Amino acid sequence: MTSRRSRLELIADILLAIQNKGGKIKPTHLMYKSNLSHKLLSNYLDELMEKEMVRIEEEIMKKREAPQKTIIITDKGLNFLSEFRRMKEFTETFGL
Amino acid sequence: MFRLFTTPTWFNGWDIVFNLVILVVAILIAAYSWRIYKINKENRFAYFSLAFIMIAISLLFKLSTSGILYFEPIRDTAANVLEPITNPGSTLADILYRVGFFLEMAPMLGGLLLIFLISQKPRERLHKFYEVSQIALFVYLVLLISIISNFKFFVFYLTSTVLLALIVLNYYKNYLNNNNKNTLKVMIAFLFAMFANIFFIFIFVWEGFYFIGQTVLLIGFLGLLTTYTKIMRK
Repeated sequence: MTSRRSRLELIADILLAIQNKGGKIKPTHLMYKSNLSHKLLSNYLDELMEKEMVRIEEEIMKKREAPQKTIIITDKGLNFLSEFRRMKEFTETFGL
Repeated sequence: MFRLFTTPTWFNGWDIVFNLVILVVAILIAAYSWRIYKINKENRFAYFSLAFIMIAISLLFKLSTSGILYFEPIRDTAANVLEPITNPGSTLADILYRVGFFLEMAPMLGGLLLIFLISQKPRERLHKFYEVSQIALFVYLVLLISIISNFKFFVFYLTSTVLLALIVLNYYKNYLNNNNKNTLKVMIAFLFAMFANIFFIFIFVWEGFYFIGQTVLLIGFLGLLTTYTKIMRK
C-alpha cells in the first residue's frame, strides 16, 4: 500500500507534470497526470497561482470555439521543483 | 606553549583548524535541515538540525578551551580572570580542561544520540509522552556519562564510539533499503568518525593517536561535506 502524499509532494507532482509536458499543459491532462480530483486540483492551482509558480493562459485554437486554458510553469515554479528535489535527496541521504 | 597530556605539542593549533572545518560542516548540515523544517514543519528535520547544532556547540567549546590553553596571551588573561575562584592546588589548565571537556562532551553525546534516534526506523513511536520520557532518560544518561568522563576521559570516547557504531548500522540498513550512493557515503563518513573515536580512546597509550584520530575525523566530515555539496548542486 502506498502512503498518502504530503501537501508539498502534491504540489511537486503538479509542477513536475507540467514540466514533463514541456512547461505547459491543459487542465484535463494535468488532472490525470497528477492523479487529483477536479476540486482538489483547482484548490492547489489557485494556491500555485497566488504564489506565482504557475500562470494560466487562454489560447484561441479555432474561430468560434471557446478559448482553451493552458497552465504554464513559471521560473519560480521551476526553482521550487529544484529545491524539492534537493530536499528529497537530503531526506533520503540522511535517512530522515 | 602549554602542553596537554592528550595532544602532541607540534599538533597544537592544527587541531583547531581541523575542528573549525568540522564545525563549518556541522553548521551547514544543521542550517539546511532547519530550512527544510521551516518549509514542511516536520519535527524530524528540526531534531536533525538540533543534533548538528549540538555537535557544533561541542566543537565550539573544544575550540575555545584549546584556544585558551594553546595561546599564551589568551591563557594569561583567562588565568587572571579565574584566579580568585581557583583553589591553590588546582591549575588553570585543570579547571579549563575539566569545564571545557564537560561542555564538549554533553552536547556531542546528545547530538550523536539524536542522530541515532532519528536515523532509526520506524520513527512513528517518537511522539508525545514516549518521546519526552525517552529524551529525559537520555539527557540524564548523557549528563552522567559526561560527568564520569571528566575523571576517565576514555568513557566519553567509548560512548561516542558505541553511538557512532549504532548510527553506522542504521545508515547501512537505510542504504540496503534505498540503494542510494549518498546514503552509503554518509555511512562511510560516520564510520570514519567512529574510527577516530577509537583512536581517541587509546590516546593514553600514545599521544600520536590524537593526531591520527583528528585526521580521520576530518576525513569523515569532509565526506559529509562532499555529499552535502553534491545534493546542493542537484
